[in-house]
Amino acid sequence: MDTLWLVVLGTLTAGYFALAGFDYGTGLLLPWRRRDVALQRMTPFFLGNEVWLVAAIGVLFAAFPRLEGELLSGAHSQFTLLLAGLVLFMAAVQLRLWWWLVFTGALMVSLGWGLFLVHLLEAPLPVALVMPVLFAVHGWVFQQRRWALFPVTAALCALPIPLAFSSIDVTGLMAHQDTLGLLARVAIPVIPLVVVLQWSIVALSSR
Amino acid sequence: MSAVDLARLQFALTTSFHFLFVLLTLGLVTLLVVMQTRFAITGAPVHERMTRFFGRIYVINYALGIVTGVVVEFQFGLNWSGLATYAGDVFGAPLALETLVAFFLESTFLGLWIFGWGRLNRWVHLSLLCLTALTAFASAFWIMAANGFLQHPVGHRVDGDVLRLDDFGALLTNPTFTSALGHVVFAAVTTGGVFVTAVSALHFLRRTHEVDFFRRSLRMGVVTTALATPPLLGFGFAQFPVLAEFQPHKTEAAPLLGLPLGFMILIGTGLTAISWLTLPLLIRDAVIRLRFPLYLMVIGIPVPFAAALFGWMFREIGRQPWLVYGLLRTEDAVSHVDASQILLSLIVFTSLFVLLACVDWALIARAVRRGPDVEPAPVSPLVVTL
Repeated sequence: MDTLWLVVLGTLTAGYFALAGFDYGTGLLLPWRRRDVALQRMTPFFLGNEVWLVAAIGVLFAAFPRLEGELLSGAHSQFTLLLAGLVLFMAAVQLRLWWWLVFTGALMVSLGWGLFLVHLLEAPLPVALVMPVLFAVHGWVFQQRRWALFPVTAALCALPIPLAFSSIDVTGLMAHQDTLGLLARVAIPVIPLVVVLQWSIVALSSR
Repeated sequence: MSAVDLARLQFALTTSFHFLFVLLTLGLVTLLVVMQTRFAITGAPVHERMTRFFGRIYVINYALGIVTGVVVEFQFGLNWSGLATYAGDVFGAPLALETLVAFFLESTFLGLWIFGWGRLNRWVHLSLLCLTALTAFASAFWIMAANGFLQHPVGHRVDGDVLRLDDFGALLTNPTFTSALGHVVFAAVTTGGVFVTAVSALHFLRRTHEVDFFRRSLRMGVVTTALATPPLLGFGFAQFPVLAEFQPHKTEAAPLLGLPLGFMILIGTGLTAISWLTLPLLIRDAVIRLRFPLYLMVIGIPVPFAAALFGWMFREIGRQPWLVYGLLRTEDAVSHVDASQILLSLIVFTSLFVLLACVDWALIARAVRRGPDVEPAPVSPLVVTL
């Protein structure tokens, strides 16, 4: 059961970075691209991509209650930056507010994740730039429709944070079997269902 | 101010803003289901245009509301790590179910509804909206179940220095949950009714040419408010016996706590009375020809929102000094974070949320002003062109 929940959390986190990564990348590249076209291309994916984060945090809270609080409160300022960026980015993209707000939001979110990575690995500060660079490359691949490269850049975006997580020993931090068993019955069918439905959104919008 | 006070203030502010969005989302989606069902059955264009007009407002509000929700969700871990550590096994279960079964699915169904406009079979498209509404109310269900646990912890056993989940069913039959759920649901439907009424009234005050359109939506808004307010009051008063049993000293938790409660009850009874008095005025459109009631309807927009915030103030402040009633004190649950860091995030999030609320207001006002017919939007008629 413990392994199962590690897999679920890993899937949701990796899914979030692989998908939302190209949103942030699109935002970061916005000054150098045709802005309306770039945003247009991202729109059908956008809401679907971002909600993976909400699902991941929900699972982190319920299945790893003694990890969640320490992890988030231990990186209070990083998450403040990240969330402020997320608020600006999501509002600006969905409502087509000013393009520089989309860019600023994307920069704040990706730097926030970079700084969180630095915090997890206790790495030197410049390592924080890894996330914006990876997102930007991923965004470029998405915008250029280089679908052969897409899985590669997606994996590159998805890996750093879950890999940094894997250094944490979760023994004793997870919820009791009773809670995990109950949630498993729900989480296991929902994730594939959401994936299928999100695919249909993309298929529908390109019809 | 200490870290606890700052964290409490931040939670109160961010959650209040979030709830304003939630209230309108839940209320509007309910009315949208009615509008689109009418369209699916009759095929009349007026119902389709109505669904599109109010649907656009709904989508704007949802898009911004989602953002506030993300911040609220993170806040549990950022500022209240003691809650997850102590009660995460129990409190976390409904919270995770909310994110997974309700919210994760809700936003996906909504996406399908938005991008499926004009591309799907009429009934398939309607069922997507119904699923969106259903999962939206499922969100309210799980959040209220989690909140009910904080008010009156049940279904757990103490295991060392943490709580374990013992009986999940008990969480779902918790009287502090069941009595409050109906209250919240009807509060949302009332808000939807008041909002649709006000929007329609505004168009009549502006001498709209869309008489048939707004006449229908006005009637719908008034009837919805009249139908939703009596159960709203009923579920509200039904909570007093529960309080007397489980939180007998609630009103004494803070000075003047009776005040928000009093205001809420006043607003609730007032809305019930006014909506029922308006019903006979719907005959032969007297309410529109009189004009005077239309002004009251427009001014009434903030009223249900204010009442909802008063209600939450009473419920949450009245729980103090406990976070989990009788088990975990609020001051023991706050994260080990410097007060200055919490102050910073408090300032950042509060100013952003004020901004979001203003943007939401401005965009909704613009969508309302433009009326039912706007040029086709680039991605979907439901996504606004700015």
